[in-house]
Order: sequence, then structure tokens, then C-alpha cells
Amino acid sequence: MLEIKNLHVAVGGKEILKGLTLSVAEGEVHAIMGPNGSGKSTLSYVLAGREGYEITQGSISYRGEDLATMKTEDRAARGVFLAMQYPVEIPGVTTLTFLKTALNAQRRARGDSELDAMSVLKLVRQKATALQVSEEMLKRALNVGFYGGEKKRLEILQMAIFEPALAILDETYSGLDIDALKLVAEGVNALRAPERAMLVITHYQRLLNYIVPDRVHVLAGGRIVAEGGKELAHELEAKGYAHVVKEPA
Amino acid sequence: MNAALPSREARRAEALESFRVRGMPHRRFEHWKYSDLRAVLDAGQVAQSGTAAWQVEKLPEGVELFDLGKLDAPELVMRNLGAIGAKPTMKEASLAFADGGVALRVPRGRKIAEPVTLHISSTGNVRLLAVLEEESSLTLMESHTGDAGLLRNVGVEIALGTQARLSHVRFAASAPKSITIEHIGVAEARGAQYRAHFANFGSRLSRTELHILLQEEDAEAHLSGVNVLGDEGHADLTSHIEHVAGNTRSTQLFKKVAGGHSRAVYQGKITVREGANGSDSRQTAKALLLGGRAEADLKPELVIFADDVKCAHGAAVGDLDPESLFYLRSRGVPEAEARHMLIRAFLEDAVAEIENEELRASVWHAVEHALPHAVRVSP
Repeated sequence: MLEIKNLHVAVGGKEILKGLTLSVAEGEVHAIMGPNGSGKSTLSYVLAGREGYEITQGSISYRGEDLATMKTEDRAARGVFLAMQYPVEIPGVTTLTFLKTALNAQRRARGDSELDAMSVLKLVRQKATALQVSEEMLKRALNVGFYGGEKKRLEILQMAIFEPALAILDETYSGLDIDALKLVAEGVNALRAPERAMLVITHYQRLLNYIVPDRVHVLAGGRIVAEGGKELAHELEAKGYAHVVKEPA
Repeated sequence: MNAALPSREARRAEALESFRVRGMPHRRFEHWKYSDLRAVLDAGQVAQSGTAAWQVEKLPEGVELFDLGKLDAPELVMRNLGAIGAKPTMKEASLAFADGGVALRVPRGRKIAEPVTLHISSTGNVRLLAVLEEESSLTLMESHTGDAGLLRNVGVEIALGTQARLSHVRFAASAPKSITIEHIGVAEARGAQYRAHFANFGSRLSRTELHILLQEEDAEAHLSGVNVLGDEGHADLTSHIEHVAGNTRSTQLFKKVAGGHSRAVYQGKITVREGANGSDSRQTAKALLLGGRAEADLKPELVIFADDVKCAHGAAVGDLDPESLFYLRSRGVPEAEARHMLIRAFLEDAVAEIENEELRASVWHAVEHALPHAVRVSP
């Protein structure tokens, strides 16, 4: 589904990713681990199509198409979803209005008919209950005054509503207490499906006790330096990054 | 009594003299720096522009209306005409050159639910006077439309009695060929409330000037407004709120969207007079500049002569937040739609200040209509 080959990405003229190669198949959950500053967030932003992230070399193929030339909104319509580490607050736009606008924009782009307000509300309510997203949250301005855990739950709710083919979770763990973490992980696990791939980006191993990956990749210095099964995450937990990451001189 | 008051003609003569002596405002006049009227209009043209026509649709029961074009004006007109607020030169001109206008009176205790809509669509000078007696209330919608050409100069006076409450919504459609000037003077008695919203979509030169006197305790003024400007549009809102008595309150919230080569101006002066202790004033003006050729001039100003007062003011000029734009696009909202969403979100709290749902909806409708002009990339 996702084939990244020798990817080099520069931000503000500075090269952050330096030849990253990664392959993710349908139905798989891959974890990208790595210390702070290794390029994890850069990878998530470049996949989602954020401006200012310049691909200087290499390629990203998504379901056989060149992802790099697609507009951000087109990527979303084709099933790429990024659960952000810091979801933005948008005063003046209610959460429900946002969800309706986004869902219908994606449907329109795919050539599906738009859903009316009642159908959207029904869909949202049905998905919101499991994630403990209240009616009151849906009426409030998007993310404004939400606690960290509420913001993360809303990101996962969006994932449940948009049903992406490729979900990228960027530090979904950060800022959550253990109960909130379990709730979010349950939400994510419920979305594991044979046709869906997930990329879980984290610098803490603990999340991976709850969202168990099929493959673990260690990112350091802008490239993948180690790969393995879920046991690699445990090894990192026990021995630290320094043991695994052997920076080229 | 009428006998003790100068005649209407005497007042007009006085106003004419005052206008002749002071002449046209220009950029070296205080507070006309961003709206150089003399550069686009001369005094002769003001005089020649005559009287603007007005129209009130469906007067609700309980509201009295007088045509200022008739000479036998009742005492309430004579007592207030030309007497409320400062007498800036263009307001004097509207009194001197308007052979007409409208006066509204809401008698004591009458609470009028249905809004009164006043339409002004022609060029010329015109006067409006609204007198709300004790404990009365009214919603007044002023609709300025038409782009017939040179000048529309409106002089407004509002007298609010004890506990009287006026909701005033002024709607000015885009008029790229016209010069549109309005001066509003408001005098408020104890516990009176003036709520006003100014939705202005730009003229060749547009100036709305307010002078509000919170004359007695517990009087309040709550001003809000939006601009959505594109092309060569201009909209200047200049307010002066005077806290004359103690325990008076004022709030201001203005949001301006400026694209193309447009210019949005806000100058808000607050004076807290000596002894007006316990006064509370807040003012916020924010502008969103779309593209590099639009301009916003935001100037809050505080002059305080009392001790125990609360005054807060803020002004900010910015662009659409790139993080928010990315967030919406990453959820599948196309860029143009995402921009519109964020602009509407920026304006939301100011439009929400309009209490009447129907008027709020009509302002949103006008915003939608104006947005494509504002976001259009100009060469």
C-alpha cells in the first residue's frame, strides 16, 4: 500500500530525512520509533502533505500512485489520515460542523453523494459513544478548551468516521494518562482491518503494549537504522536507543 | 416649550456656517488620516448633492414617525435635532443640506419586538433622529444600498431615556463608486443600553463615526462590526465613547477582512471623565489581511481622568493561520473552502453580537456574497 524509497526531505533548507525506505502492506500495523529529533514528525507531515516539507530525492508511492504530487486534501479523500500530535484549535467552527464539512468534502472528491445533517449526526453519535466523546464536545468550537485526552479522542473519532486506508498516528500517546491511553488504544484497535494500514509513530514503547505492531522500525538521523518484530520494541525499552542506534560516524 | 427653542431653520443656518468655516475634513484633520475626504470631494459637491431619499418599511404599532422634511416638527425633534454628540463638520453638512429625514419616537414603556427597517439607497444628505423614552425598546435596521455615485452623508442622533434599549444594526452594501459618510451621536440616560452592529462591505470611501455619551450611571454601549473588503474597498469606523458618569460600561468588538487593494480602518477612542469611577471599557479590533496589498489601520486610544476604572484594549493584524489551514486540508477540505471556513470563523464572534436572528442571518448572507471579492488574488 505504501512504498517509500530513499526519501530525502528538507525543511527550511535543512535535510531532516536522509534516505528513508519503508514498505507497509494492507492490514499491517507498523511502529516507527526513534529518539526526539530523528525525523518522525517530518515523516508524518510529508505523508500528509504539509507545506514547507520539500522532497529533494526519493519517492512515495501510495496504492500505486505518486503521493508527493497530490494535494493535501486529495490525499485525505484517497484515504490518508494523520492523527496529529497537536491538533489545532479553531474558534468559531463547531466540532460537528467541521466533521460534516470534512466528511462531505471527502465524499464529494470520491464522487459519492453528500450526507445530510441528520445522517452525519447519526453517524457521529454512533462512533462517538465508544470514544466517550460527548454531545457537548461536539457542539463546542473545534478543540477549543479541550483537554489533551479529549483532543486525542477527537482525532481517533475522526479516524473512525473517515475510515481511512492509511492511518498515521503521530505521538497519539503523548499527554495521556493511563486510562485515556487505554481508551484511545481500544479505539485504534477497533479500527484495525484487513484493508487498512497503520503507521504508529512514537518515541515511547509503552503505547505499543496496547497497540501491538506487526513490524517495528527504528528511525534515527533521518533513516531507518533497525527493523524487527514487536519484540524489538521491548528490546528498546530494556536497553535504550543508544544500544540499537549505531550512528554512522 | 417650542418658543424657547431656536427654529429648525436657525439651526440649519448655524450648521451651514459651521461647515463653511471648517470645510472638508482631510488627512491632517484629527482622525481623518486614513480617510482623506477632501482628496475625493469638495464642499460644493456636498452642498449640491441635495437630500437623500429614505423609506421605512412597515412601521410597527407603537412607533411614531415624523418626516423631517415637514416644517411643523414636534418638540421632541426640536429638542434633539442637532443637539446630540459632537458636531463634526460633515454632520453639520448633513443638517445644513438635508431638506428632510426621519424621526422616530418610541413612547415610554413601549417595547417593540418587530424591527424597524430604514432603507437609504439614493445619494445626498439626510438626517435620522431616534428618541426612545424611558423603559422603551426598539430594534432598528439601517440598510444602506445602491451605488449611485458621489455622496451619501447621513447624520444620526439617538436619545435613550432611562432604561431604554436600542439594538441598532447598520448594514452597508458594497458601493465601490460612492462616498458614504455617517455620523452617529448617542446620548444615554441612567441604565440605558445601546447595542450596535456595523456590517460594512466597503465604498470608494466609507466613514462611520460614532460619538457616544454615557451620561448617567449604569448606561451601556456595546459595539461590534465586520468588514469584508476586496478590490479598492475602504471602510473606516471611528468611535469615541465617553464615560461621563460612573459605573458605565462599554464593549467593542470589530473584525475586519481585507483583500485586494482594500483598506480597513478602526480608530476607537475611549474617554473616562473625571469622577466616572467604576467604569468598565473593553475594545478589541482585529484584521485579517488577505494578500500583500490590503491594509489595516487599527488604533485604540484611551484617555482616563478617573481613578477606579477597568479598561482593556487590543488590536491585532494577521494572516490566516497556516496550521489551521493545513489541519482542515488534511481532513479533506479543499483549500479554498478551508480558507472561507477560517474567515467565517474569524468573523463569528463579532456577528454573534447581533441579537436578532434574522438580521444575523442577513449579515452572514452578505458576508458570503462579499468573500469571493476579498479572497480574489489581485494583480
